[in-house]
Amino acid sequence: MPFTPKPHAALLIVGHGSTENPDSSTPYFDHADEIRRLGAFGEVHCCFWKEEPSMREAEYLIDADEVYVVPDFISEGYFTQDVIPRELQLEGPTTSRAGKTWHYTLPVGVHPSMTGLLLRRAREVAPDADPAQTTLFIVGHGTGLNQNSTKAIKDQAALIKASGAGYAEVLDAYMEEQPFIAEWAALATTPNVVVVPFFIADGLHSYQDIPVLLGIEAEPGEAASQREVFRHNPHHVRGKTLYYSSAIGTERHLADVILDQVADFDAKYHEAR
Amino acid sequence: MKLAERLSAAVAGGIRRIGQIAIRPQDGVYLLCHIDDENSDASLLEKFEGSATARDLSTWAEDGHYRFTKGELSLKRGWLLQLSSSEELRQALDHFYPAAAGLWFAQHDGRLEIEHLRDKLNRQTGMYRFARTLSDAGAQRLVSEVCGPGHCCVKKILWQLDANTPLEDSEASRFDGVTGDIDRSQAIPLLCREACNHFVAEARKASKAEQDAKATG
Ligand code: SF4
Repeated sequence: MPFTPKPHAALLIVGHGSTENPDSSTPYFDHADEIRRLGAFGEVHCCFWKEEPSMREAEYLIDADEVYVVPDFISEGYFTQDVIPRELQLEGPTTSRAGKTWHYTLPVGVHPSMTGLLLRRAREVAPDADPAQTTLFIVGHGTGLNQNSTKAIKDQAALIKASGAGYAEVLDAYMEEQPFIAEWAALATTPNVVVVPFFIADGLHSYQDIPVLLGIEAEPGEAASQREVFRHNPHHVRGKTLYYSSAIGTERHLADVILDQVADFDAKYHEAR
Repeated sequence: MKLAERLSAAVAGGIRRIGQIAIRPQDGVYLLCHIDDENSDASLLEKFEGSATARDLSTWAEDGHYRFTKGELSLKRGWLLQLSSSEELRQALDHFYPAAAGLWFAQHDGRLEIEHLRDKLNRQTGMYRFARTLSDAGAQRLVSEVCGPGHCCVKKILWQLDANTPLEDSEASRFDGVTGDIDRSQAIPLLCREACNHFVAEARKASKAEQDAKATG
């Protein structure tokens, strides 16, 4: 959907960030740069839970009186429903505070346009694999604490299945709850397997933990910037051909999903304008 | 006035420093370098342009560790960054010292909201909830053990334990947010308006240690 630019508004991208690995905030800055380049907003900023600037500092970064806050998160859950509203002092979809109007959109991961992004990533990582002979795994963390954290992933798996992309199977799997991604070879009945981590960043999960669970690494490796975990496709393991992708959030077009989420917000709450 | 314009007005008015960064206006552009390189031969410094580079320059310390707290006294040397507009200057400074210029302007305008430590700790949830039980004495000690230039953080602490309990005097609580020997009126101080995540994580550890000591006590 073409985005009508908002030169008078600011976009605030909220990310998790990390005290251990700077790669985990790179996608947020990349998405911000891409949106600046597109000229979609008068200003674009990032703020984080674990890095600076903090969410509480965000208002001091912004000139505009109208701010769209987009959680660059995969699912609705603890962060989007508890931490971000608390830290940014948001009371609902729209809040007036600190002389500004704050609009709070849904997280990027739940937007329907994520489906296209996942499919594209799956095709890119395994250009030669015939979908009819391929199982596509969408992988999340899974905690058991919050049903919502797996919902976004289940939803995407269902949407891909319904999309007519032709994959023999599309399965959701998790690091820490059933169905476990570690059991991928038993879960998949096809000779080819494509695994796409449904995370924003190539943090520790997608380049250290999941490769070990998949059996393509013996033990957690170095930081992603020092490694080439994603360049060795395909892997021949457990009698199958395995293609492993980097996290979906590293996709440049995620910037479009951020804008889609803003457009959806306006369509839902600003129809009268 | 927009932040970028205020920033360029501040530089025109004599601001030359923020944290470990020296700012030099020159023929309509801004040149940034490490304060310790200010008097070095510019031809020996690696040249960069554009604000995005600021993120790369500020991510890793000389010894290779990740600077997740940007107030850390560990900025790399050896580079010269050219920025072609006040907007680029603002973006670059927000990479080097996130929100620092905005916080300083807000302080000037009297609209900077400070959050005291108890309020910060009391709103922690999840695994950090435990930080709430830290004693006042423990919190005072932590400030002198975590903050201040002696521990590599060069921000000026604006908060207290709570509205009625100021921080005890220490190098950390006294620090004014300006690094090095410079006329204070030429520097943007780095301000700490609420305890950072690193501090909260340390508060959690210290609080646990207090509980353990009581249990075995
Ligand atoms: S609490 Fe503030 S002064 Fe202390 S280490 Fe964190 S940022 Fe620095």
